[in-house]
Amino acid sequence: MTRHGTTWHLSWHGIRTVARLELRQRLRSTRWKVALIVWFVVVGAITGLTVGALHAATDPGQGGPELGSLIFGIVVFFVLFLGLLVAPTLSAAAINGDRNAGTLATLQATLLSPAEIVLGKLLAAWTAALAFLAASIPFIVWSLFEGGVRVLSLLTTVLMLAVVLLVVCAVGLGFSALVAKTSGSAVLTYLTVGGLSVLTPVLFGLSTPLVTTLEDVRVWTVPDSAWPQGPADPQPTVDQCHWETQTMSRVHTERTWWLLALNPFVIVADAQPLGDTAEIERAGSANPLALIQYGVRLARTGPAAEEDWCTSQFTEYHEDGTVTKPDSPVAQVEPSTQAVWPWGLGFLLVLGAGSVVVAVRRLRIPAHTLPQGTRVA
Amino acid sequence: MNSPAGIQAHGVRRAFGQVRAVDGVDLVASPGRVTALIGPNGSGKTTLLLVLAGLLVPDAGTVTVAGYDPVTQGVEARRRTGWMPDVFGTWDSLTCREVLTTVAAAYRLPREAGAARAAELLTLVHLDEFADAPAHVLSRGQKQRLGLARALVHDPDVLLLDEPASGLDPRSRVDLREQVRSLAAQGKTVLISSHVLTELDEIADDAVFLSRGRTAATRTVTAAAAQRRPWRITSLDPDALRDWLAANGHVVSTGSTTGDGGGGAVLVHLDGDAAAAALLRAAVTDGIPISSIAPAGGVLEQAYLELEEERR
Ligand SMILES: Nc1ncnc2c1ncn2[C@@H]1O[C@H](COP(=O)(O)OP(=O)(O)OP(=O)(O)O)[C@@H](O)[C@H]1O
Ligand SMILES: [Mg+2]
Repeated sequence: MTRHGTTWHLSWHGIRTVARLELRQRLRSTRWKVALIVWFVVVGAITGLTVGALHAATDPGQGGPELGSLIFGIVVFFVLFLGLLVAPTLSAAAINGDRNAGTLATLQATLLSPAEIVLGKLLAAWTAALAFLAASIPFIVWSLFEGGVRVLSLLTTVLMLAVVLLVVCAVGLGFSALVAKTSGSAVLTYLTVGGLSVLTPVLFGLSTPLVTTLEDVRVWTVPDSAWPQGPADPQPTVDQCHWETQTMSRVHTERTWWLLALNPFVIVADAQPLGDTAEIERAGSANPLALIQYGVRLARTGPAAEEDWCTSQFTEYHEDGTVTKPDSPVAQVEPSTQAVWPWGLGFLLVLGAGSVVVAVRRLRIPAHTLPQGTRVA
Repeated sequence: MNSPAGIQAHGVRRAFGQVRAVDGVDLVASPGRVTALIGPNGSGKTTLLLVLAGLLVPDAGTVTVAGYDPVTQGVEARRRTGWMPDVFGTWDSLTCREVLTTVAAAYRLPREAGAARAAELLTLVHLDEFADAPAHVLSRGQKQRLGLARALVHDPDVLLLDEPASGLDPRSRVDLREQVRSLAAQGKTVLISSHVLTELDEIADDAVFLSRGRTAATRTVTAAAAQRRPWRITSLDPDALRDWLAANGHVVSTGSTTGDGGGGAVLVHLDGDAAAAALLRAAVTDGIPISSIAPAGGVLEQAYLELEEERR
């Protein structure tokens, strides 16, 4: 077989051997059990506090579906936040730590291929991360009982959380193959995670002046002359709406939305099935995930060629929850066609796969070059 | 594969940046024989063993191990190579048995075969009582023995042992010697690096001396034994012995130069065993009360020091 062929040789037996070795090593350290218990307690406490606080803040009569989705959003984001903190520790020392301990070369010298070693380590790290995720599922399900969350949302969200954790584990593994010191690879992994989670929305915000332009827009609106001049004048009616061209500054987020697509929180929020848009549009929705989802999809759409300032003036919300709207000549934005998460997911998968490839290439033997300052044995 | 078994290395070079760790090594180790790899610290022994184990690419030169090139036929070569590193790292939380079964699985041995092999090897290296203890409780010498067992899991044809005796107690050294000899007797090729040269005298058949990354000399131990080297002679009457030696044309140096002399011991340079026997016979015939005659220092030690001497 060629060197390339043997590097990428994969067998379930080999991956399992490495994964079992890693997990045994990890499971037997008490650190791990303590961490899992702490995690369970912290997520439980946050969920309990959220539920308690929200119940106290809303009148007993109200609440209902809104409350469930709010709790769901908070718990999911908190689990994701903690997961992003924990996942790097599970994999960022997997390769350079072994190299420093002198155990990596003994594995490499066996018949295991570099790909089997890397994927086995990734599987072990991911399994450990999934254990943390599993420990938080009771609390996510709790929000289900508060109402307002669909089971399908729960499924897609948990699935997406699992994928994000897998990718973070892979990135940690990639850095641990590249960098000699375990502290170095941990820092780089945290920087990557932090960059994706915090830097992307900041950049998105800071880039708005760059994509803001002054332009002429056709607007469907009530003419200025129709507005009452004095107290005696009549209110404008919907029949007075007409087209006029106005010059205004507009933010072309359709050029920068991809910054948001890189954000794990956005990806998780956007991946759930789209909720009732009318409900969200009322801004009465307290579902944070749905708001983010709606927001990024609008950002991706960008400003429309024509704007409707008329309809909202004459929309009526009735006591029984129904809405009457006048007909509008302006096409409605359809958020369902503007999903952001496939792009984000694609990016994450490319990032994870790239990290795995880097790690495998670093573990190829016989080695040409060694990472600076390391010995094989 | 019709290239010869054992280890063949010709013109092997390997540099790390500016450091030329291995700079032209020629080495042949034959099946059924134990070859010692000897050289001062930093002379490139470990690096050479890493090249032979298929972990490092040589910059130049040709290598075959058990008939396969570790670079282009890595899997086949590794399947037949057992490597014991000098820095012994082990998976701390695993028990000794699990370490061995894991390595067996990594060599794609079936589970039952791996378990049986692990039990067999634990007995061989006398670690039965620690079989189910985590590896981190082992002492340095016990870890070293576990390392030897690990190198033997897949019953390799070629064994590369990097300083296997370091940290071993006298009993374990004797065991190691016997194990290595019996592996060679089974037709395996053993390449062993060590700084304990007196030890190697008894294990090795051949010796390769490295110096600054080059092969400085290649000896067979029996040939080295026939070389001119100092012998230590003690007598009940040291003065009579000295006089007799002087009268018979032998150059005498006092024993204290080799450290443990004293007590009237005398050092004489002789050309191997036959010369020693002749001297002994003559001295006894002349009525000198000789109490002992033996080589001063080991065969390899002597050869090593001579090489060092030449390089100064
Ligand atoms: N990964 C590396 N990077 C840089 N230099 C290295 C590396 N590995 C070895 N060297 C250098 O190569 C030379 C040979 O090292 P090697 O470990 O092969 O010596 P050795 O003969 O095994 O020594 P010892 O008897 O102390 O074990 C040394 O000068 C060492 O500093
Ligand atoms: Mg060494």
